[in-house]
Amino acid sequence: MVTETKIHPLVEKYFRIDRMPHLACPGCGIGIVMNYTLKVIDELGIDPQKFTWVTGVGCSSRLPYATWLGDCIDATHGRALATATGLKLARPDLTVMVYTGDGDCLSIGGNHFIHACRRNVPVTVVMFNNMIYGMTGGQVAPTTPVGAETQTTPYGDIEEPFDGCKLATAAGAVYACRWTVFQPKRVMSSLKKGLQKNGLSYIEIFTPCPTQFGRYILKIGDPVKLAIWTKEQTVDLKKTETMTEEELKDKIIVGEYVDIEKPSLVDRYAELFEKVKGVSA
Amino acid sequence: MISDVIKEGVHFVEGDEALAMGCIAAGCRFCSFYPITPFSECAEAMATMLPKLGGIAIQMEDEIGSIHAANGASIAGLKAMTGTSGPGCSVHQDGYGWAIKNEIPLVIVDVQRAGPCNGVATLVGQGDFYQAKYGTHGGNYEIIALSPSTVQETFDLVIEAFNLAEIFRLPVIFLMDEVIAHTREKLIVPPWKEIEPRIVDRIRKPDVSPQDYKSFGHIATPEAISVPFPAAGDGYGLCLSPYTHNEKGYPSTAFREQDRMARRLIQKVRANTDKLEKFESAYLDDAKSAVVSYGCSARSSLTAVKRLREEGVKIGFFRLITIWPFLDKQIYELAEAMDTLYVVECNLDGQLSREVQRASLGKTEVIHIGKAGVEMHTPEEVIEVIKKHTAVTK
Amino acid sequence: MARIYVNEDYCKGCNLCIHFCPKNVFETSTRLNKRGFPMPTIVHIEDCNACGVCELFCPDFAIVVEKEEKEEVAKK
Repeated sequence: MVTETKIHPLVEKYFRIDRMPHLACPGCGIGIVMNYTLKVIDELGIDPQKFTWVTGVGCSSRLPYATWLGDCIDATHGRALATATGLKLARPDLTVMVYTGDGDCLSIGGNHFIHACRRNVPVTVVMFNNMIYGMTGGQVAPTTPVGAETQTTPYGDIEEPFDGCKLATAAGAVYACRWTVFQPKRVMSSLKKGLQKNGLSYIEIFTPCPTQFGRYILKIGDPVKLAIWTKEQTVDLKKTETMTEEELKDKIIVGEYVDIEKPSLVDRYAELFEKVKGVSA
Repeated sequence: MISDVIKEGVHFVEGDEALAMGCIAAGCRFCSFYPITPFSECAEAMATMLPKLGGIAIQMEDEIGSIHAANGASIAGLKAMTGTSGPGCSVHQDGYGWAIKNEIPLVIVDVQRAGPCNGVATLVGQGDFYQAKYGTHGGNYEIIALSPSTVQETFDLVIEAFNLAEIFRLPVIFLMDEVIAHTREKLIVPPWKEIEPRIVDRIRKPDVSPQDYKSFGHIATPEAISVPFPAAGDGYGLCLSPYTHNEKGYPSTAFREQDRMARRLIQKVRANTDKLEKFESAYLDDAKSAVVSYGCSARSSLTAVKRLREEGVKIGFFRLITIWPFLDKQIYELAEAMDTLYVVECNLDGQLSREVQRASLGKTEVIHIGKAGVEMHTPEEVIEVIKKHTAVTK
Repeated sequence: MARIYVNEDYCKGCNLCIHFCPKNVFETSTRLNKRGFPMPTIVHIEDCNACGVCELFCPDFAIVVEKEEKEEVAKK
C-alpha cells in the first residue's frame, strides 16, 4: 500500500526545500529538536529574516546550516559563540540562536562558551549532548561517561565528564537547563523561554546518537531501544538531592539549573554609550 | 560627531594611536582584540574612541574569539577589525581562513615583534611576512597585505586597507612593526570633509531580489570586485560556512565546486593587481644597485642610500607598501636594471629577500641584509654590508 | 478521524513513530523506500485521534498529521 505524501508545513515555510532530506542518521534526535525549534519560532511569530542561525562544526551544526531559509552562519569548530557575540553586538535587533554540540561547545569552544555566559551575550544556545563526537566517527567527548570505550578511549574513558549546566550557571548564564529529546513540552517551553530571555540561555538536550554512542558504547543501535534507555536513565534534578552517588551514576539529570534576570551585554553597551556621550575626546 | 573624535589638525602620536584614528576615520565601528604588546595601545585607543560613536570595542577571551567576533560583526554590516602581534596571528589562522573563503571584508592588524614564539614582546621584528600570506592552511587563495613606514602613513594607509577590504571582500592584513607602532611622530589629520570622499562604503544591496540571491552567485565571474555583501538581517538568507561551497553557499564535495571556489579566491586578486601596486622609490634613474625594504627597515635603508649617494655611490631605494600580492612586476623591472638588490629586513631567515629572489628570475644578485630582531638596522649597518659586498665583487 | 501522510523521500525507517504512537496506528514493514529504509505502515488509521505525537517525534519531518472535521469510514 503506497502512502500519500505531503511536504511538512514547517519545511515548506522555513526550510530550503532543495536541502531536504537532511543528512542526519536514522533516529538521530537533532531533527526532532529542529522540529521543536521551528514550532516555537512559528508560535512566537519570529520573522525568519531577522533570525540568524549560528552553528559550529558537528552533526548538530550541520543540520540547520543552509537548511534554514534565513541567515545561516556556520563558523569553524568551537567558534559559534564568538561569531555570535560579534554578530549580536553589531545587530542587537536580530534573534540569534546557536546550535552546538558537546565537543563544539565544551571542548574546543569551551573558552568562548564560558565568556559568552560571563558576558551574558543575549543569544540562545542549544547544546546537543550525545556524549560522543558523532560526525568524526565516535571519539570521546567532554561529556562522555567514565569507562566508556570510545574510538579514542579503547580501554575505557578515564576522565570525568563536564556538567554543562553547572558550568553555564557558574559562568553567569541567566538560564540553563537540560532535557532529553523525548521531552517535547519541556524542550519547547525552554526554547520559548530562552528566545525571550534577556541574556545567554543554555538549553542542553540529551540526544541519543544511534550510530556512534548507541551502537558502540551502549551496544544499542536501535533508535526505539535508545529512546527506552533514555527514559530509564532520566532523573529529575529535584530528586537528585536525595539520591546517592551510586544511584546517580550514568543518569541523565534533567531540569532547570538557573533562571535569573540581569542586564545583557547589549544593555551594558547601551549604558556605556549613554555614559560617554558628551565626554570630550 | 566623528570630527569631535578624530580631530582635525596636527597631532603628536605613536603609530598605534594613529592606527586607531585611521581605523575610525575609515568607518570602523567594531574592534575585537586580546591584549598583546605591541598592539595593545591601539586597542586601548579604540576602546576610548569607539563608544563615543556608538561603536563596539570588545576585549575577547583570546585571539581566536577576536577574529571570529570580527567576522560576526562584519557579517552583521559593520566595518570591523581585529589586531594583534605575531603570536596572536598564529592563533587567528582558522578564523582568517574562514574570512578569506567567505569573502568577508575585514582588517586584521599584525604589529610584528621579535620572534619566533613569544620572542621579545616589546621589541621589533619583521618575521611575519610569509605568515601574512601563507599562515592559514589549504592554499587556493590570494590575499592583500599593506605595510606603513611612518605614523602619518599608518593613518592614511589603514583607510586604504578598509577600502580594499570592501572592494575585494577580503580580510586585508595591515602589517606593521613595533617600531612604527611605538614611535611618536607628527600626524596631520585633514578636515573631515577631505577625508570623507576617500572612504569606500560597503555595497549592501545586491542586484537581484532576495529570492534569487545566492551567497556566492558571483563565483561565475572570478575576477569580479565590488561585489555586494548584504548583511545578516537584510533578508537575503546568507549561507556562510567553513566548507567548500557551491554558488548558493551549500557545502559541496564536488570537484567542480572546489575548482570554481579556488579560482574565484585566486583570480579576485590576481586579475586586479593593477589596483594594488603601492610602492615608493627614489634615486633609481642612474642607479646600479638598489636597496629593497619595507616598514621600519625602509627608514634606515633610505638614510643609508642617501649617505651612500653623498659619497657618490649610484644606489637607489625601493620600498614596498603593498606586501601582498607581491610586486612581481616592479621587482622584476628593478632586477633587470640593477646589478644587485640589497634586501633589508628584520629577520635572519630571509623572507622578503626570498620573494625578491624569486621575482627577479635570476636577472640580478640578491643580497639579504638581515637582523634577527629586537633591534632594527641602523643606516651604518646597512652601509657596512653594502660596502663590504661592493669591495668583494669589484 | 485523521489523515497521516508519510513522506517516503524523507523517512529513514527509524521506527520512532511506531514506538511513540499511543494508539498503535503504525506497524513496521519490510517494504523499503528507494533509499533502502523500511517504511512504517499505517494499519489502524481508524484509531488515530490526530494527537500528532508521530509527527512530533519524527526526526526527518516525514510525517504530517491532519485532523479531519467530517467523520468518514476509513478504507481498510
